[in-house]
Amino acid sequence: MDIFELGARDVAKGVREKKFSAVEAFDSCFGRLSAYEGKIAAIITRTAEEGREQAKSIDARLAKKEDVGPLGGVPTILKDNMCTRGVRTTAGSRILGDWAPPYSATVWDLLRNAGATLLGKANMDEFAMGNTTGTSAFGPTANPCDITRVPGGSSGGSAAAVSAGYSPFSLGSDTGGSIRQPASYCGIYGFKPTYGLVSRYGLIAYGSSLDQIGPFARDMEDLALVMSVLARHDPKDSTSVQGKNLDFTLKGDAIKGKKIALVKDFKDFTLDRPIADAMKRVAGILEKAGAVITEVSLPTVARYAVACYYAIAASEAHTNLARYDGVRYGYRVSDDGINLKESFEKVRSEGFGVEVKSRIIAGTCLTEPVRSEEYYVAATRVRTLIASEFAKAFESVDCILQPVTPSLPEKIGAVDDDATKGYESDLYTLPVNMAGLPGLSFFTGYAADPALPVGLQLVGPRWSDASLLNIGFDLQKILGNPRIANGGL
Amino acid sequence: MKLGSDEVRAIADEARLSLTGEELAKATRYISNFLDMVDRFKELDLKGVEPFCFAEATECPLREDEPTSFDNIPDILAGRVEGTDSFFKVPRIVGEA
Amino acid sequence: MPLTFTPVIGIEIHIQLKTKSKVFCKCGTDYANDPPNSHVCPVCMGLPGSLPVLNRAVVQQGMLAGLALNCRILPTTFFFRKSYYYPDLPKGFQVTQSDLPIAAEGWLEIHDDAGKPKKIRINRLHLEEDVGKLHHSTTDGRLEGASTSFVDYNRSGLPLAEIVSEPDVSSAREAVEYVTSLRRRVRYSGASDVDLEKGMMRFDANVSVKCSDGRWGKRAEVKNMNSFRALERAIEYEIKRQSKILEDGGEVLQETRHWNDTKGVTTGMRVKEFYRKFIVEPDLPPLVVSSSWVEETRARLPEMPVERAERYEKEMGLSETDAAVLTDSIDVARYFEAVVASGANPQRAGNWVRTEVLRFINEKQISVDDLAVKPASLAELLSRVESGKLSTTQAKGVFEGMLEGLSIEDAIKKTGAVEGGVGADALTALVKSTLAANADVVEEIKSGKDTKGKKIKFLQGLIMREAKGQAKPDEVEAAIEAALKDDA
Repeated sequence: MDIFELGARDVAKGVREKKFSAVEAFDSCFGRLSAYEGKIAAIITRTAEEGREQAKSIDARLAKKEDVGPLGGVPTILKDNMCTRGVRTTAGSRILGDWAPPYSATVWDLLRNAGATLLGKANMDEFAMGNTTGTSAFGPTANPCDITRVPGGSSGGSAAAVSAGYSPFSLGSDTGGSIRQPASYCGIYGFKPTYGLVSRYGLIAYGSSLDQIGPFARDMEDLALVMSVLARHDPKDSTSVQGKNLDFTLKGDAIKGKKIALVKDFKDFTLDRPIADAMKRVAGILEKAGAVITEVSLPTVARYAVACYYAIAASEAHTNLARYDGVRYGYRVSDDGINLKESFEKVRSEGFGVEVKSRIIAGTCLTEPVRSEEYYVAATRVRTLIASEFAKAFESVDCILQPVTPSLPEKIGAVDDDATKGYESDLYTLPVNMAGLPGLSFFTGYAADPALPVGLQLVGPRWSDASLLNIGFDLQKILGNPRIANGGL
Repeated sequence: MKLGSDEVRAIADEARLSLTGEELAKATRYISNFLDMVDRFKELDLKGVEPFCFAEATECPLREDEPTSFDNIPDILAGRVEGTDSFFKVPRIVGEA
Repeated sequence: MPLTFTPVIGIEIHIQLKTKSKVFCKCGTDYANDPPNSHVCPVCMGLPGSLPVLNRAVVQQGMLAGLALNCRILPTTFFFRKSYYYPDLPKGFQVTQSDLPIAAEGWLEIHDDAGKPKKIRINRLHLEEDVGKLHHSTTDGRLEGASTSFVDYNRSGLPLAEIVSEPDVSSAREAVEYVTSLRRRVRYSGASDVDLEKGMMRFDANVSVKCSDGRWGKRAEVKNMNSFRALERAIEYEIKRQSKILEDGGEVLQETRHWNDTKGVTTGMRVKEFYRKFIVEPDLPPLVVSSSWVEETRARLPEMPVERAERYEKEMGLSETDAAVLTDSIDVARYFEAVVASGANPQRAGNWVRTEVLRFINEKQISVDDLAVKPASLAELLSRVESGKLSTTQAKGVFEGMLEGLSIEDAIKKTGAVEGGVGADALTALVKSTLAANADVVEEIKSGKDTKGKKIKFLQGLIMREAKGQAKPDEVEAAIEAALKDDA
């Protein structure tokens, strides 16, 4: 067995017990990456040199019998919207040019302190706006389970990398499903934590009140291990919550006695057959394992959450993206003979892709003084209704079982990236961000035709993160683990 | 609500974006779909519903007033600020931005 | 009947709150002697991924300033993103409390143009961040004609309080009195140094004019005034300009106008107002201040200048002018009070502080706290004058020595002053010789031409100089008069 096939725990153990060195682990993963990148294109920037140096330093510290941390020598990959000091960070856009941030995101500091080594920065939809990774200025990423299909997005590169065995885990960010949907498409596990649990400092913002960083992994134990490293209060992020010390130890026997709900109001929406089958199957497994399967009603969520999401996300995004004017960093144009406004326009028009431009215009439109009350402010009120509806539902149930997406991944190029087109396609992921809830996207098995993985989602109340991971852990024991994908199943 | 392409162009101008014909067509389609969707809010009675601002009823944390210099200013200025004058440069400002 | 015009003016004032670090990041605020872009970090440069963390001292100082302006402190307030595109604004939005401010509904009392007391209502004081500073390559600082502009982000993220008045101001003079009084109170509170030369206080004025025939012109927002004088001139100019338009039957446009201090005119910005809109700042949860924090802050607020001056007049018998001068700066007022507390006669102490002390600190550009003469020593010096041991002139010489750091005894020795003054015989001799040497002057006095006593003062001056400051002026005057009488 090659090192790259191991999970994070086993890599860390192997390094700690000197079965192999951190450099060997790094080289194995980097070798896998190099072999498959031609097919998958999951990585924007490879960090062979930096990562190898980090691995060397882990080995050196081990030689001195120092503690190298729970992820000591484990190679990883970050979505390219997380700042890495001295390493180009693009957010999947042309507009950042070759910008190398002068500082690192808190999550990268945490991972590095826990011993992780960096293989590279993963491809993503430009500024996380999209659900195929196809809006990236660096071209699309292929799904390792079927390279003719999209890996999902916006964290498609991070998901594909773990699915293809580049690294045992990676980080993505989830604003409206950007971790859970690609995890499901690529046949791995992805977790979107409660808003405020993981620091956003150094995460290039899309919708600040919705964005949350979380991990991808090929098993639940690794997912929980990474969460135990990331879930820390950060004084640099004013929305990072203090005093929540969640225990991410997986104890087993978590399903028994739990009240798990299906959403009544989602029943009228159609699902691809394998997904509908998985819903039935998993509900049955849960019931058999001692859970009470019940129903909750979320009518406001079902009808308004998607609209509300796009209004809030666009309104916040257009302010987050106002800073890209070419003056201080990133893409720049020749200023000869043009005035300031023309310079700003040139930078932004050449630097942003069309999806991003459309969303900036939408956000600008909704928050115009004449329309703000009717749209932006109304959306913030609808959001209150959505959050209360969830809160009320969670008074009577422990968590909700629901699909991640209504359909399996589409062929590359077949998808119109107009995100507002299929209202239902985002219905299962966006509301979770609206209410700041945790959501686990877990692997249930492979469909036969088309041969693709099928994922489902568990959504819980705020701060039920550890409980969701425990249920997922129990389910994994019954449902089995995904295998590393080679470009097809 | 529908917006015409002229209106969309004007909004793009506010956002410092100039669009190609194709982009304008896509953006106009996008905004119209968008507004159709958002128009659903009108079905709701939102009177007395507080705007949602934060997922948690938290307070703004306050930091102590202790100055500390950032440890990597050269990389902030890298490539933009040359020589000893250490200013960022922008094109001439003609009355407005 | 000729038309008359009533100005309606609201004033917006930005003051820089006094803190050690910026409002949302740890960069230092003291960069006066440092190169451009030397006090910057990812947060105040608006780098992608950076997030704001609010400085406690900014909240504290904002509350202090608000309380000094008789405002109510609001327990829960929000921050917003105010969007517009300009290169001095690194994030493309300014973080501001805008109309959900930390302090609201204050007031200040001034005098109207007839001298009657008048209240100016303060709508609010809200916290926000400053923007970077633009420099233009034309030497005269004009915006037009420059080929490149330069940006320095050291100022970006400095803490500001914007103080918005109701449109209660009716003239340029009232405006100046309002900002003068406001400045003094804020400086008293310790919330800001409000140093105009350092740009710590900047003004915008919303000016409109109501015509006696019922027409009401739209309001112009006049920007770019950095001194009291500029504020006064800009408002005067704007009132005249708008009145003339209405007089000619024209229409005043609602617009933003730029004050050009060199030309003394306001000019309309060529295009409409910057595009500004607001969303809630999602990176900053609501700012909550407890009532106990508000009360602690209120307790820290010192007695304000007007109240203090009234007390000086009432309790110490100081003149209105002396009281006003002594209370202009809280440091001077505190120094003066300490001199009095050390036993000095309030009127003598007031006079001394007002003249000798202020002259010296203004000349040396130092703070009264840095004065070598501590209040107790000054009180001791004054008590010797009071008891007649030193003449005022002698005391001034001794004071000079004390300013150089000498003790009172050493200063007396150095100046050679003899406590008790010039002996009576010596003085008589001195007067006699002086009168003899100035017979023409003596003649004039005798002929009754010296109705204003100028000639006597002249002789007195000569004798004082001759006595090297060791004679008391009243004794010299008496001696001259006695000598003149004898001579007659």
